Amino acid sequence: MFGYNRRKLLVASVVLATGGLTLSAIPAQAFSPRMEVGVSSTEIKLGMTLPMTGTASPGYNKIPSAVKAYFDYVNANGGINGRKITLIAKDDQYVPTLAVAKTNELLLRDKVFALLSPLGTANNKAVASSVNPGRRRVPVLFVNTGFSGFANKKAYPTTFTILPSYIVEAKIMAEYIKDTFPDKKIGLLYQDDDFGDDALAGFKQAGLNFAIKVPYASGAQGIAGVPATWIQKLSGAGAEVVVLFGVSSATGAALGTAAVLKYGPKWILGSVGGDATTIKALGVPAGVLYNATGASFLPATSDTTDEYVALFQDINKKYNNNAVFDNNVLVGMNTAFVTAQAIKAAGTNPTRRSLIMAIEKSGAKFASAGLTPLNFSATSHTGYAGYWFGTYGPTGDLKPNGGAYTVYTTDSANGAVVKSTYKRPAMPTKGLPN
Amino acid sequence: MHKIKSTNATRLLFFVAIGVFFFLLSNRVDELRVYQGATLAMYVVAISSLILLTGYSGQVSLGHGALMAIGGYAAALSHEHFGAPIWICFGIGVLAAGAAGAILGTAAARLSGPYLAGTTLALAVGLPSIANQFTILGGEQGLLFDVGFPPESLGPDFTQYKWYFWIAGLSALISIWWLQNLLRSRYGRTWRAIRGNEVAAELCGIHIGRSKTLAFTVSSGLAGLAGALLAMTISTVSPSAFPLALSFSLLTGAVLSGVSTLPGVMIGALTLVATPEIADVIANRIAASESVATNLPGILVSALLILVVLLVPNGPVEQWRASRIRKSANTHR
Repeated sequence: MFGYNRRKLLVASVVLATGGLTLSAIPAQAFSPRMEVGVSSTEIKLGMTLPMTGTASPGYNKIPSAVKAYFDYVNANGGINGRKITLIAKDDQYVPTLAVAKTNELLLRDKVFALLSPLGTANNKAVASSVNPGRRRVPVLFVNTGFSGFANKKAYPTTFTILPSYIVEAKIMAEYIKDTFPDKKIGLLYQDDDFGDDALAGFKQAGLNFAIKVPYASGAQGIAGVPATWIQKLSGAGAEVVVLFGVSSATGAALGTAAVLKYGPKWILGSVGGDATTIKALGVPAGVLYNATGASFLPATSDTTDEYVALFQDINKKYNNNAVFDNNVLVGMNTAFVTAQAIKAAGTNPTRRSLIMAIEKSGAKFASAGLTPLNFSATSHTGYAGYWFGTYGPTGDLKPNGGAYTVYTTDSANGAVVKSTYKRPAMPTKGLPN
Repeated sequence: MHKIKSTNATRLLFFVAIGVFFFLLSNRVDELRVYQGATLAMYVVAISSLILLTGYSGQVSLGHGALMAIGGYAAALSHEHFGAPIWICFGIGVLAAGAAGAILGTAAARLSGPYLAGTTLALAVGLPSIANQFTILGGEQGLLFDVGFPPESLGPDFTQYKWYFWIAGLSALISIWWLQNLLRSRYGRTWRAIRGNEVAAELCGIHIGRSKTLAFTVSSGLAGLAGALLAMTISTVSPSAFPLALSFSLLTGAVLSGVSTLPGVMIGALTLVATPEIADVIANRIAASESVATNLPGILVSALLILVVLLVPNGPVEQWRASRIRKSANTHR
């Protein structure tokens, strides 16, 4: 293979040596002695990974521009302690390989201050063990997944969740079902992984018995004929109320197939799969959702009497090209809203450490659009823990049952499900961090 | 000129020298480069497995991504269920992919040209979605494959990525060294004979089917190792980590390397690692939209593939070598 001679060896070693010197001369960006990584006198950089293209992207791809819109609004009003907030969003196509690669770029090349709202249980798990923000002491604010495991402070010391966990959701849903449909046969469709295991744990905890439980492997919803087998099993068991605890594509597939097979139980949708825009983007007519029950922890997107919704809609008009104002936009802006307060609370010269400590110390007092309190403390990295139930209208809008938000809260452990008495404090002036 | 004899010892020495060089380099560059180095080493193994198959035994595979998936899943499963040490996990990955390759190779030996390409393509399309059917494989979410922190004896500043780089780099060096030796052995000569002319090879007493199957098995085993290395660098295996695009990138890498030149393998691997970076720079320069930026690496790789096939069909290394031979023939005339 190699024809070795001295000159060749000489050339090879010169090339290797020069290459090595050149590569080693690439400057490892010098860490500023006073300023934290990602923080300059004029700017704070945050990074986000999520699917912006590809099959999993519908709906979620609206989040970055919504987050940016709120930050633009803050920046236009003087920023936070004179620094503007910028967001670098990277497309991971919902692929763990890309999530790891993109997170590496964010942390090691773009040198962001913190990660914001990275999406997906699998992606976050891959990033947590490969990139390991916990070991690097990089804050991971408000992961966009309800997997209860991420609230484990020991395993993920710098990670904060914001969505109520799937356990919380299942427990509250179970109580709702026991109250509303006491004698009905209940069916469950769930994703057979960490996501579904969380839900099963919650249902078990609440003591809800199912006539039939249909697990599906994540991704199986895309295989022709598979959704029909779910519907056959559910209708075969005579389920009159069916809980769909899956992702949007599975929820859409189940609803669409059931409509074709003329199976019409009372549908109850989990929060993950219940986003009307995402289901519509998958080609399922919104009408299929009509009269189904859904759950949320934020005000309804159409509720303009809510001061947060009104403000966010206004920001959406001015800074987000007046995008369709759906739950993704609302969630994105609300996350940005909470983030801005966390950065403000981290002090005039925020560090990664002071950011984490600020959320632990005063995160429970942060204002937000949420209808349940945030549960941040030195021992808890979990955000919201409650839901209200509503019914989908003909256009896919979720409206609260009985016209008012009746919020139930609980925890991911043995706590009881209780009706919340939480009164959301008034929004800070102009919706800016104070 | 004094020819240094290419003996086993000098070759081993050469590989050790490369190893030492990269080891020293990994201490000098920033962490992102170290991570990319680990990815590069993974590609080196994957592309060399394809070069062995295509360049040396004349078989085509469009489905090496699927064989990598088998290796990755086998490694992750053995780690998760038996808690096997990582080296054993890599070994199991190699064996599992090799076994799958042996079965596939038996069928492949009867096929050639477009039929073989089609069969392996079907494998790349179909195999990863099997994970969605069995819960033990973790569905779309996949399985964690966490090789753990570097040993504490390496010091507190020894990063996770350097650890990945060491493991991947060592694996790549050992496999290439072993492959070099294999290709110089009886088996390598047999494969080249088959690639050159099957009928002539058969007349010389070579069992075509058996030899081809063996080549497929060895190549699959190496692909399995690459899959386990990929799984290590992202700490997880999932169907989406082994898309069809991966199989095609590997093929592009092999063509860029020159399908019949193992030493060119670095060129292919380097291109595959560098392309997303270059695409990123271009996308930023022209302020491209997200969908353009996402597709740019694919476009670049494809364009490069077309250019290489048009201009240097045997790959740059082979071209360079051929021109050297021509030149030396001229000077000795």
